[in-house]
Amino acid sequence: MRPLTDDETKVLFEKLTKYIGRNIAHLIDRPDEPYCFRLQKDRVYYMSEEIMRRATPVGRRNLVALGVCFGKFTKTGKFRMHITALPYLSQYAIYKVWVKPNGEMPFLYGNHVVKAHIGRVTEDMPEHQGVVIFNMADVPLGFGVSARSTVDMRKVDPTGIAVFHQADNGEYLREEDTLF
Amino acid sequence: MDVSGILESQKSKFKSIQVNRLIPVEFDLGLLASFDINMTDEAKFRSDKATREAYLKELSREGAQLMINELFSLPTTVDDDSYYASLPKPITVLPREKPIPKEKPMTRWEKFAKFKGIQKRKSSGKVFDETSGEWRRKYGFKGVNNDDQKPWLIEVPGNANQYEDQYKVRREEKKERIEKNNRRSQRNYEERVAAEKGMKPHEMRKRELQKALVLSKQSTASLGKFDAKLKGEPKIKGIKRKFEPLVGSVDKEKTKNMAILNKVNKGDSKATVLNVRKAQRALNNAKRAAKK
Repeated sequence: MRPLTDDETKVLFEKLTKYIGRNIAHLIDRPDEPYCFRLQKDRVYYMSEEIMRRATPVGRRNLVALGVCFGKFTKTGKFRMHITALPYLSQYAIYKVWVKPNGEMPFLYGNHVVKAHIGRVTEDMPEHQGVVIFNMADVPLGFGVSARSTVDMRKVDPTGIAVFHQADNGEYLREEDTLF
Repeated sequence: MDVSGILESQKSKFKSIQVNRLIPVEFDLGLLASFDINMTDEAKFRSDKATREAYLKELSREGAQLMINELFSLPTTVDDDSYYASLPKPITVLPREKPIPKEKPMTRWEKFAKFKGIQKRKSSGKVFDETSGEWRRKYGFKGVNNDDQKPWLIEVPGNANQYEDQYKVRREEKKERIEKNNRRSQRNYEERVAAEKGMKPHEMRKRELQKALVLSKQSTASLGKFDAKLKGEPKIKGIKRKFEPLVGSVDKEKTKNMAILNKVNKGDSKATVLNVRKAQRALNNAKRAAKK
């Protein structure tokens, strides 16, 4: 476990910006408790400082996980978000997409969101922007990347892809072995 | 008929071409420049903007008037209803834009020639070729020492092996001469580079060699771990990774992260650029509301 280097922090923030924009500041500067990002086996964890301090005596090999996993650095140095970061993403998300009840299961099985399944979209969502996907009861289901802007979405036929799938809650079951 | 009144009124429309100056103004007509060293009116400079501007305008007009008066005193030629004045050469010396180029260090031959007092002689690059009856270059394109100009018969020197191909010897000798010259020019280049860096040539060569050695060793699959060690081989020092302490100052980490975040957001244009479509819609909505 170690703090992130400047370059790693930059890559992480650039990725997070796509989903929550400037709200990253709320993650860094919290009124309740000091929180921090730590790297352990290529994975970035977000935790309170107290938990971090408690975990320091645990050896690198023995430490499985701590705090909330935001994602991992690939071997090429890119950052990949994990579904475990969803609570924070959904809390601060700028662009949101709500799917109808008939679209929930297809998305949770790892498919893209088609236009027919969309119930509601945030206004002025641009193309290729990180979006968080909710069901109509406002339960976050996952996140992805918008395939069309809100304006262009009207022109798409019902079977056209509206949001590209990146991560969904179904991964907790499907990727159980590799996720953690 | 008395036209003096009309003349007077016409005259008052234009300013006089006569300009009075206490110290005569100097000109450099080659550069179309005039230098006025007369005192300026300090009080007018310090007064309000309108007077200052008017004063400056007047000053520049008078300067230009004086220069134009001077221009008309130059010899002129007329061509297609236009007057051309031939300007004298500029007097003022303008400074050079770029620094003076550094002198190149002498090559080995130049040093030797200077020491021996050998002068460069100008010789024509051509010789008369009797077989074709033409003047040909000594070397190079269509030169007499080229292979296509080889003699049809070469006498075998007395001390040489008589079964040796003399044409081959000729070819190889030429190749060797070219290579030798290339080696020397390379050596001159290296010495020049070393001199520019203020190093001795052999030190520079040593350093280059060590650099090449390190590179070639790192290029093996095992990063040179199992290579045979050379005598006096330099020890390679890698870059050690350094990380921040795991448990450091929380505030320090926070400020550092915030700084990185600000840098990341700076590149994010969406945060600063106006969303025109959204603004337009807001405006239209407001208008519609006002109408109702």
